[in-house]
Amino acid sequence: MASLDEPGEVREGFLCPLCLKDLQSFYQLQSHYEEEHSGEDRDVRGQIKSLMQKAKKAKNKLLKREGDDRADSGAQGYESFSYGGVDPYMWEPQELGAVRSHLSDFKKHRAARIDHYVVEVNKLIIRLEKLTAFDRMNTESAKIRAIEKSVVPWVNDQDVPFCPDCGNKFSIRNRRHHCRLCGSIMCKKCMELISLPFANKLTSASKDSLSTHTSPSQSPNSVHGSRRGSISSISSVSSVLDEKDDDRIRCCTHCKDTLLKREQQIDEKEHTPTIVRLYEKLRLCMEKVDQKAPEYIKMAASLNAGETTYSLEHASDLRLEVQKVYELIDALSKKILTLGLNQDPPPHPNTLRLQRMIRCSATLFVQEKLLGLMSLPTKEQFEELKKKRKQDLERKRTMERQAALESQRRLEERQSGLVSRATNGEVAPLRRGPGPLRKAEGWLPLSGGQGQSEDPDPLLQQIHNITSFIRQAKAAGRADEVRTLQENLRQLQDEYDQQQTEKAIELSRRQAEEEELQREQLQMLREREWERERVRAAPLHSRTRSLDFQREPGRGLRTHLAHALDLGPSPAQSGTAPKTPSPSPAQAWSGPPALDQEGPPQSTVSQPPLNPFEEEDRPSPPGEGAVSPAAAEAAPLPKEYNPFEEEEEEEPEAGNPFTGPDGLAPNPFEEEEARPCLRPASPPAPGNPFEEPAGTNPFEVDSDSGPEVEERIEEELLLQQIDNIKAYIFDAKQCGRLDEVEVLTENLRELKCTLAKQKGGPD
Amino acid sequence: MNVVFAVKQYVSKMIEDSGPGMKVLLMDKETTGIVSMVYTQSEILQKEVYLFERIDSQNREIMKHLKAICFLRPTKENVDYLIQELRRPKYSIYFIYFSNVISKSDVKSLAEADEQEVVAEVQEFYGDYIAVNPHLFSLNILGCCQGRNWDPAQLSRTTQGLTALLLSLKKCPMIRYQLSSEAAKRLAECVKQVITKEYELFEFRRTEVPPLLLILDRCDDAITPLLNQWTYQAMVHELLGINNNRIDLSRVPGISKDLREVVLSAENDEFYANNMYLNFAEIGSNIKNLMEDFQKKKPKEQQKLESIADMKAFVENYPQFKKMSGTVSKHVTVVGELSRLVSERNLLEVSEVEQELACQNDHSSALQNVKRLLQNPKVTEFDAARLVMLYALHYERHSSNSLPGLIVDLRNKGVSEKYRKLVSAVVEYGGKRVRGSDLFSPKDAVAITKQFLKGLKGVENVYTQHQPFLHETLDHLIKGKLKENLYPYLGPSTLRDRPQDIIVFVIGGATYEEALTVYTLNRTTPGVRIVLGGTTVHNTKR
Repeated sequence: MASLDEPGEVREGFLCPLCLKDLQSFYQLQSHYEEEHSGEDRDVRGQIKSLMQKAKKAKNKLLKREGDDRADSGAQGYESFSYGGVDPYMWEPQELGAVRSHLSDFKKHRAARIDHYVVEVNKLIIRLEKLTAFDRMNTESAKIRAIEKSVVPWVNDQDVPFCPDCGNKFSIRNRRHHCRLCGSIMCKKCMELISLPFANKLTSASKDSLSTHTSPSQSPNSVHGSRRGSISSISSVSSVLDEKDDDRIRCCTHCKDTLLKREQQIDEKEHTPTIVRLYEKLRLCMEKVDQKAPEYIKMAASLNAGETTYSLEHASDLRLEVQKVYELIDALSKKILTLGLNQDPPPHPNTLRLQRMIRCSATLFVQEKLLGLMSLPTKEQFEELKKKRKQDLERKRTMERQAALESQRRLEERQSGLVSRATNGEVAPLRRGPGPLRKAEGWLPLSGGQGQSEDPDPLLQQIHNITSFIRQAKAAGRADEVRTLQENLRQLQDEYDQQQTEKAIELSRRQAEEEELQREQLQMLREREWERERVRAAPLHSRTRSLDFQREPGRGLRTHLAHALDLGPSPAQSGTAPKTPSPSPAQAWSGPPALDQEGPPQSTVSQPPLNPFEEEDRPSPPGEGAVSPAAAEAAPLPKEYNPFEEEEEEEPEAGNPFTGPDGLAPNPFEEEEARPCLRPASPPAPGNPFEEPAGTNPFEVDSDSGPEVEERIEEELLLQQIDNIKAYIFDAKQCGRLDEVEVLTENLRELKCTLAKQKGGPD
Repeated sequence: MNVVFAVKQYVSKMIEDSGPGMKVLLMDKETTGIVSMVYTQSEILQKEVYLFERIDSQNREIMKHLKAICFLRPTKENVDYLIQELRRPKYSIYFIYFSNVISKSDVKSLAEADEQEVVAEVQEFYGDYIAVNPHLFSLNILGCCQGRNWDPAQLSRTTQGLTALLLSLKKCPMIRYQLSSEAAKRLAECVKQVITKEYELFEFRRTEVPPLLLILDRCDDAITPLLNQWTYQAMVHELLGINNNRIDLSRVPGISKDLREVVLSAENDEFYANNMYLNFAEIGSNIKNLMEDFQKKKPKEQQKLESIADMKAFVENYPQFKKMSGTVSKHVTVVGELSRLVSERNLLEVSEVEQELACQNDHSSALQNVKRLLQNPKVTEFDAARLVMLYALHYERHSSNSLPGLIVDLRNKGVSEKYRKLVSAVVEYGGKRVRGSDLFSPKDAVAITKQFLKGLKGVENVYTQHQPFLHETLDHLIKGKLKENLYPYLGPSTLRDRPQDIIVFVIGGATYEEALTVYTLNRTTPGVRIVLGGTTVHNTKR
């Protein structure tokens, strides 16, 4: 049976191994097999089984990608020359083998033991509590002894002639001592002492196991106790017989051990080392990444494909967030790595190893995940992508249509279809033109041209096709067809020529437009200069002015005169600024629109000057439509503004030449790193920009510093790159690959240079 | 039936069961090897296991913020260590897993030591063998037999390993063994005994055709381990030695520091996984491709990165690049060393004669060739001795046997006493007297025709003519033709159908050549899954 799958004949899909019929799915294959070939050789069944295993494996691959990566890669290599049997790597996933738990048995035995232990400890603690319950300092020794004896019966002296621990004989010199906790006897050497604070700690901890005392400040009390003990033992040399211990309780080694263990347990319960806290934070971050990164990757993938399901700004927000988390992970793991390095007794090598390993795994984690974090397209790129996608779709559509047309074989019909398509194609870009233009941020005048640039493509294609048809027809000797085709071709060429001329016109128009734009920007710059000076004089005032301006854009000349009057402190300056049109505020205000009207007659094209101010994710056609009449009719019909509610957002742009500078002047680039390019996603509330000076920034940047926006994104990228490369250098250093380190360092230096240049440049 | 996954599953389960938090893996010498075969360090790091400690190391610090996963063999020493550990716990909580059956009394003494209630789990996870490849396992026991009989300690270890394998694969097999070997019989009985004793453990879902355990003895085919191999994995093992996937390259002249010891693991080295069963020539061309592929990527990286786009590409490619550079340098070093050894030891010629000795029956030319090679100064004494061994094994009873003459030649060549003794030892070990079946002369008509046909076709590759005897055995087994008088069943029941799941165990160790055979059999025979195991994995050095 294996012969059917001979390597020479590579067939894929769910082929029935017996009749080579292609079945659509594995299940169909199975049922097909059951119907058709049941009762045939078992070997085939085996093969089906192997197929099933493969399918299962493939499914597993899809389902849980992470764990099986290596196995996958191993398997892929083999699949190419698999013949019949099953590669051991492709065997169905091994289920967990047999296991047997001894836990219940274990617990049973332990429970018995633990009960015993717990009872013992509790007994000791209760006794300890009784022994410390009274005021030892101010009680007579005889009385103390009586109390002590009442807590636990003392072993009779006569019964114990030797110390049970060290075996020394008791005598006058080597006296017997009783453990106050269990009553047993030992010699002085074997005797242990419990200090009162220690006892208190144990008893209080057991009293309220919720542990009200938090600091383990009492933990060194054993040291304390022994020091005190040595002092008191000196003092008590004189009175050996008098065995009064002020603040200590005698006990045997065994009891002391038990209590010490208990103390240790108490301490551990409260104590969490720094590393644990840091580590918990680290894990938290990792979880966050695990959660966010897939979300981001989905977004980025969609954006990179030019889809508009997600907004670019949102995605870059998320990216920033994820990156921050990565930085945090990096920082945390570094902190863990260096934990306790400069402590006096250096930490145990194992602790260091642990720290190193954690760092290592964090680095691995970051490396693995961060690199999966694909970069976002820049704004420009995104526009391109969007456009490309649109074009792709359109092309696909035209292709489809074309295919349909060609299938008809009726020349007349094709021709008419062609004309309609051609006109379509012409209308579409016109209709479409402003769309991308709007989004492409007017400062990129070329982009508008690009929108049309591929439009002739189908036409040319068509021409080409028809030429080939003609050739074919000629070859076939069908003269009449040739004739019609040639006719057709001529028409097409005419059409094409016409379009070309149109395009040329359009192009020149665009050039004019560009010039105009430049002029406008020049003017804006001038204005800004003037404004800046004025702002210096009265920043506050100018802002209120602009606010007013904002609120009542349509009030026309009168208001503006009022504004001009309002300017108060700086009228002289404004008046003296010689070259700006601002001396007459109305003119200044209506500057851009007015210029628009001066421009080429095409009303649709007149928008670019406004476009820069359009919000990215608000390509709402009504808005656009609103702008153009607004631009055209602003002055004569002030009341017209009311219907256009959304205009409010666009107004600041109209007022931009005035409002912009006051936001810009104080903080051009330093403070606002990424913000301008992120902010626009959510257009600020109308009033907002004017409440805080920085708020106007987005518009400012949008309007005239497009290149900077781009640069800033790059800058961010640069920063990230620098981080990455740093990590690699570290990595390479650890592995001792010096040449790599060198190359990397050089890159890093270069990157830093670029960054510095960029930072320095705009200022 | 995938032994690598079987062990890996166990380890993963252990780690998962212990929940989140920093962990330390506490192992003994053997389990360290077992775990390291299936998990790489970086892989296990991702699961929050940051430290690996030996239970017997004294220098462990108290780290109460760690969870301890103990994976230990249930030996007396380990239990004692564990008891000490539990008396004074160094970690906050203990998850204890034994790699084999542990006695109730041991559990009890452990429980009594756990006064601080730090133990959260006590289980038996039967990962008690070294999983080399998905279909190949080893127990890493050298010298398992003394003479013909088992060393008792090794017998019990082998039994444990084999039963653990069965448990981890969830198989309760029928057992067949090689009649001619006493050792095989003993082992079969011991395994059966364990299965009977732990019957509740071996209660798995019955399959249509019960799995089969076939126990063989190395002495049945002493030839295979004596031949030079030409597939990548086998060659590396033969010439450099693989120990738990690690290769010691420290003897390679001019080796750089970080390549002293390299790890070859099919689990995470794609190149190795794809090439381990290819022969040396193919590897040569593959490694060339690998290099070219690498070169294509390399210049871009080493150049100065001019633009941001370049850097971006670099950063994105860096890990792959690094990984690839590691792989490339590793394999280039290994293959380079292999080819150096091959030419230094004149292995191509030696191997040709070896194959001739193993596969053909032309005594005079064989003798001539052996003699010629013995004169060659480039042939090492070890290779020379091996040739003589092969000769001795093949032409043991030949009328014009000139073994004494060859041994004299060996002495003249200055081959040490140790190697010369080996010759007679091998003959005793794997000579005709002990062989249950005939290795060299074809047995039945089919085999004769086969050989005849082969002769007609001409030999495809002179260096790989030899087919291990195991191939024939398994072939017969799969077809249900394996003779019961040579390989009897243990117990009354016999298998009526053709076996599907087969576990072969070779006392005295398997070879990578046999692993290759099993691998091909697995691939070419649908519905049959074979797992090969041995007390160790051999090369010619034994």
